[in-house]
Amino acid sequence: MASGRDVRDMLGLPICTDAQKSAVQKRAKPAAPARRIHGVAREVAALYGERPPPVAVYEEKKTYRAKRQSTGPVKKWVQQPFTNQARSDGLVLKHWRRKPTTAPPVQDGEDLAMEDGENTEPYIENSAEFVKYNISVDLPTFTDEEYDAHLRSEDWSREETDYLFEVVKDYSYRWAVIWDRYDYQPANKSHLTQETVDRNESSQALAALPFAPAKTRTVEDLKARFYDISAKLMKLRIPEMQMDADQYSLYETLSKFDPNLERNRKNLAAALMNRNMDEVKEEEFLLAELQRINMAANRLDAEREELRARLDAPISNQQVQAGLASFTSSQALQALFSQLFQQDRSKKRASGGGSGPARLSLNASDLIQTPSSSTHPHLSASARRQSTATQPAAQTPIRTLPPQQEYRYNVSTHDRLTSGVTFGSDKLLKMRQAKSNVQTQKIATALAELGIAEVIQIPTSKVGEQFEGLINKVSKLIDMRKVREKEEGEIRVLEAMKERRMSEVKQDPSSNSAADGKTKQEIPDSQEMPSMDGEGEDEDADGDADADGEPDADADGDADIDAEGEEDEDAEGEEESRQPSEMASSRAQSQSAAGHKRSASVFSQTSNKSTKRARK
Amino acid sequence: MNIPNSSSAPAPGEYAGDEVSAIVLDPGWSTTRAGFAGEDVPKSVIPSFYGQIDSDSGSQYLFGENAIHNPLGNLQVKNPWGDDGIVEDWETATKLWEYAITSKLTGTKAGHPSKNGLNDGNDTNGDAMDVDMDTVENQEKPLEDSPLLVTEPGWNSAKAREKTIEIAMEEWGTPAFYLQKTGVLAAFASGKASGIIIDVGASHTSVTPVLDGMVLRKGVQKSTLAGNFVSNQIRLIFKQSQPEIPLTPHYLVKAKTPVDAGAPAQAIYKTFNIPPHDSFRRLEEERVLTEFKESVVEIWPGPGRLSNGTNEEIAKSMPGRPFEMPDGWNQVFGLDRFRPAEALFDAKAAVQDADNPRPKDEHTIPRLVQAAVQHVDADQRPLLLQNIVVTGGSTLLYKFNDRLNYEINSIYPSTRNKLIAPGPVVERKYAAWIGGSILASLGSFHQLWISKKEYEEHGANIVEKRCR
Ligand SMILES: Nc1ncnc2c1ncn2[C@@H]1O[C@H](COP(=O)(O)OP(=O)(O)OP(=O)(O)O)[C@@H](O)[C@H]1O
Ligand SMILES: [Mg+2]
Repeated sequence: MASGRDVRDMLGLPICTDAQKSAVQKRAKPAAPARRIHGVAREVAALYGERPPPVAVYEEKKTYRAKRQSTGPVKKWVQQPFTNQARSDGLVLKHWRRKPTTAPPVQDGEDLAMEDGENTEPYIENSAEFVKYNISVDLPTFTDEEYDAHLRSEDWSREETDYLFEVVKDYSYRWAVIWDRYDYQPANKSHLTQETVDRNESSQALAALPFAPAKTRTVEDLKARFYDISAKLMKLRIPEMQMDADQYSLYETLSKFDPNLERNRKNLAAALMNRNMDEVKEEEFLLAELQRINMAANRLDAEREELRARLDAPISNQQVQAGLASFTSSQALQALFSQLFQQDRSKKRASGGGSGPARLSLNASDLIQTPSSSTHPHLSASARRQSTATQPAAQTPIRTLPPQQEYRYNVSTHDRLTSGVTFGSDKLLKMRQAKSNVQTQKIATALAELGIAEVIQIPTSKVGEQFEGLINKVSKLIDMRKVREKEEGEIRVLEAMKERRMSEVKQDPSSNSAADGKTKQEIPDSQEMPSMDGEGEDEDADGDADADGEPDADADGDADIDAEGEEDEDAEGEEESRQPSEMASSRAQSQSAAGHKRSASVFSQTSNKSTKRARK
Repeated sequence: MNIPNSSSAPAPGEYAGDEVSAIVLDPGWSTTRAGFAGEDVPKSVIPSFYGQIDSDSGSQYLFGENAIHNPLGNLQVKNPWGDDGIVEDWETATKLWEYAITSKLTGTKAGHPSKNGLNDGNDTNGDAMDVDMDTVENQEKPLEDSPLLVTEPGWNSAKAREKTIEIAMEEWGTPAFYLQKTGVLAAFASGKASGIIIDVGASHTSVTPVLDGMVLRKGVQKSTLAGNFVSNQIRLIFKQSQPEIPLTPHYLVKAKTPVDAGAPAQAIYKTFNIPPHDSFRRLEEERVLTEFKESVVEIWPGPGRLSNGTNEEIAKSMPGRPFEMPDGWNQVFGLDRFRPAEALFDAKAAVQDADNPRPKDEHTIPRLVQAAVQHVDADQRPLLLQNIVVTGGSTLLYKFNDRLNYEINSIYPSTRNKLIAPGPVVERKYAAWIGGSILASLGSFHQLWISKKEYEEHGANIVEKRCR
């Protein structure tokens, strides 16, 4: 009541009259239960008590009966004889119809008399109501001349062809039914059955009929004949040139029907259906397995991708990515940032301005940060804000444009944006520089060989990408060369040794064992893990260190591996001022070039690292 | 005059309805169903058995539920149906069917308007209706005014079909006639034009593939593993159990006293001066067995067959079901209640003796379905398996559908198989009749009737051309 009143109040309707009304209603309400409900026994009604009944009780008489409209005198119905226009035999049936009211009322009065009169000469309605359902299909037709000229077939007699057309008409192109009912009995059976014997054999697989007559045609045979004739007739009526698109496509389907293909397809379909439970289970199992493998492959790919990315340019940690997945919109990021900022500040305040605990909260993200930010370990609040703000932005899929548009508007998306503005040319220049002068020189000469100018005019991001790819290839090439040289050198050494041994054997067979031992040591050294001496352990330690999340430790490993490689590289390994990313990349390249076994082992190591990291 | 809502019947125009007071006759081995097209249940359901009392003055025939269960002296009970599921004794079948039609439909008792000129009695007391008296002169023909739709089994012979139209046209004088397969009609009753119809009746189980309202004849399968077979299995189980379970029909018992489970019955039996024929006793026993089937027999619902692994143990551990014979003998049936119908699905589980050999494996329902599907064009098979219509009185056996579902899914594990089994008993038992009722009340069906004129022109052979 109050709410209604409020509404009225709001709408500015008069309230006083309403109050009167409601007062009336209030008075009426308690009286309502006392009212007898018709159709419910008094005892049952008493059980309702004060509360309203759990189900709405409607008085049927009042609610559901539509008011009976008095539309004049009672309408008469007659059993009206009628004929159906779809029938040719004039069958007269009777249905109930309203007696026509169009007759003038004078005649209405003498109903019965009329009725009797009608009996002698009854009016018969001509019903066309259902004629629309009497449809028959269109069939191509042909004349005798046409048949003789174009449609003859070895396999089909004229009689059977006619029979086929008749059946197709009877069953309205329902081929399954047509085949089921097709039962042609040739007048003189002898000559045709001979021909069809071998056909039968081939079609036995599909039509294993218990009551098959001597002459069996498969659905495909029937279809082939029918379509063939239809196509030919169509071509006769409308030359191919004059067919419109629809007609031509129909013509094509008709003339291209290949019964054998169909048969094979059906056999396959049947075989698919007739598989037993075990086979279906097996398939299900295999599918599940396939899905599992695919998923594993995807995961593996992703891991590899991540690894490669890490080796090229370390990106932020998986864990953080997962954690930050929810911060996809800029608002959310803003909120997150302000929250972090607040936390930070409050903690600072709590700890008396000391940055110790506050730093901890952000240190984790610092660690997995880009090397550029990790090179500035002392962070002011603003620098931290920058780093936290830029990093999640890297994970924000802003809006993806279709590739063409991206290309057109020169929009590019980045996994990670470094702060500040950089020149494209700087980037290119950086790429030219390897970690060692020798390497840089080598790259420069290679580029010169390729005819790449020192200064690239318009260093767009595209150009940069291309250039990066090129540089990668070049450095790979250089690595390969290096390896080749190394291998060649080794071969030379080995050959020299072999020669020496041969001469030794000739001279003194007793020194055999010593030489053997030597080669045994040599061969694994050149190909397998460098685990002969301290190096292997070093690398393990390196792995551990890496797992701890110290990117700088990479440099040591690098140095170790290089030490095992060539002389000139050795010294350069100590240049630790290089960015670890570059080192890592060159390391990966040199390693991948250094033979399968090693690269595999390194990969497994690093993936171990990554999983360890992920677990953390 | 009610306002139309979702539950009220649609107007005839909406479904092309146009009733012409056609009569639908669905003769079966155990019951014969007849009624007016457009109604939802057959008005007249009479047993297909008839009584015959031979005396010097010729044979007296008794039709109808009331007559044949009366133990008269020398009463023989016969059935016009042959073993192959096609009518054998046409003469009495005609009388029986005529009785089914005239006793409740066109006779004087029914208040239906079509009684007006087509009765067999002469006491037409016309109400205040507009009486149409033009057919009075043809009184002797019972169906003068009503088109007749008769159902037939899927494997009906050409001879039997011609015989049917002859009877309808010449003896009953129907103006229009049509013959339709029970399978198609059962599918129509479930609102399907295509599907596989599994009909487990009394004498026969049939599996009929139907495509767009047409039976695929090559696929029609039938076997005798149906209601009567199950009854017979029960008899064998009763006979073979230790001690033998007595099967005493109601009419032999005058009074009984309650006894403990398994104890011999203590009843006073009736004696007859001239006892009815043995066939009468058999019919009465059959009634007890049907009762037993309805209330006790259960089908092992799967997974697996009853004989598989520990299934029998599981079945044994289920609570039993009690049954009391008319003479007071009673027992709780445990594992035994699963056995009579198991052979419908698993031939080797059949109870056997010298006269009742093991049924053939290919006659079990799953194998029939398989054979039927096999004979259908490969492209249509999945469609058909999506519409498996279950009908016939014996499919009311408890858990029948569960088992059938299990069996079909294990034959065709890779397709989507769907059983369509109407819940109401009436719809399950009379599906073919209901389908006929729908079909014959459609306006679009009028052009399919074979008219008297056509029959006279082309002869009885016309059914072969027109009713395919
Ligand atoms: N509730 C029930 N449970 C089990 N069986 C039943 C039940 N009701 C009927 N039956 C059985 O169903 C059979 C009758 O089924 P139905 O009326 O479909 O057969 P029909 O059409 O007369 O015979 P047919 O199809 O063989 O010519 C009888 O054998 C009867 O015992
Ligand atoms: Mg039946």
